Amino acid sequence: MTRQGRKSTALAAFVLVQTVAAVFFIGDSIGDLRQDGFDLHSIFEVLVAFALALGIGFGLIGLRQTLIKMRAQEQTIAAASGDLARVIDDQFAAWGLTPAECDVGLLALKGLDVAEIAELRDAAAGTVRAQLTHIYAKAGVSGRAQFAAFFVEDLLAGPLPAATQAGRLASNETRR
Amino acid sequence: MAQDPNLGPPVALWDPLVRISHWGLAIVVIANALITRGGSALHVGIGWAALALLILRIGWGLVGVPEARFSAFPLDPRAALAHLRSLLTGAAPPHYRSHNPAGAVMAYALWGTLALVIATGLTMTTASPLKLARQEAIVASGDWSALVTADQPAEDTGLINRKLVRGVHNVAANLMLVLAALHVGGVLVESRAMRRNLVAPMVAGHRGQRE
Repeated sequence: MTRQGRKSTALAAFVLVQTVAAVFFIGDSIGDLRQDGFDLHSIFEVLVAFALALGIGFGLIGLRQTLIKMRAQEQTIAAASGDLARVIDDQFAAWGLTPAECDVGLLALKGLDVAEIAELRDAAAGTVRAQLTHIYAKAGVSGRAQFAAFFVEDLLAGPLPAATQAGRLASNETRR
Repeated sequence: MAQDPNLGPPVALWDPLVRISHWGLAIVVIANALITRGGSALHVGIGWAALALLILRIGWGLVGVPEARFSAFPLDPRAALAHLRSLLTGAAPPHYRSHNPAGAVMAYALWGTLALVIATGLTMTTASPLKLARQEAIVASGDWSALVTADQPAEDTGLINRKLVRGVHNVAANLMLVLAALHVGGVLVESRAMRRNLVAPMVAGHRGQRE
């Protein structure tokens, strides 16, 4: 279970405990009320009962918000991974990679090394190495690092952290 | 029918509150119908816990996640009959994102019957489970005088009334068991007819279906 899944389950269990406590408290108070009549003590009990009911209501609304946020995040991740796969396919087609080169390229992007790709594809390591060279040439990149960076780059839409990092380094220097 | 907002892909996993209240109610119903002794502190205590679970589920039906809300599975007996007929004829019924119409009727029947059991139980209850437990301890220690005050009926409820309430309580409790058995049977039949596991979404702690 995910961390958020555990959080929502814990929250649901917590609201349940709260509700059981509220029912027992209110039931007990009504029993007292029937026996002893309304007095100062009863006013406090009504206040506590009101607070408990309010807590349950807010607990339920909080639980709903947690669950809805969780689902939105899951959808975003699914959409993002689907989009990335499509971006990669389109780019491979634009570079004019052969079907075999597409497969090898995808495995390389997933982080497999030459020996692993060769084993997966039942091919010689030399063949895979040659295919990778062709891929890099068609993509116009210098090697594997640049090849992988080609796709990651587009995901990092924000400004480069160079400026802030330089500032932090400078302040570190002066502190030293 | 095509524009029905309640049609759609069914839930892969019910939310934790639906699962906790469902299995909690299953346990309290079995415990109080078959195991505990009526009128005992344990029986009354479990009954109060059932009331808490029912309140929680009703609250969740009003403010909860979309598929847990009452609006996602309205009470519609005609749609329920149509659904059952399509099961019998073998025509594939549509998928609903929450309970199907027949399941919705069953859910409301179970909750309604449980509410009746709890309401009649509460009117028969002379004291809170905590006080009952104290009385039981006193009686167990040999002092039977506690029974005299405990079982004294209130003046306004006559003997016939109390008998009636007790009868309704017992009949409704037995009806609850019958409905629960029908509910289990319905889930199994529906799982076969719809070719999907209806039990897993109510059990699993993780999303069962993966692409």
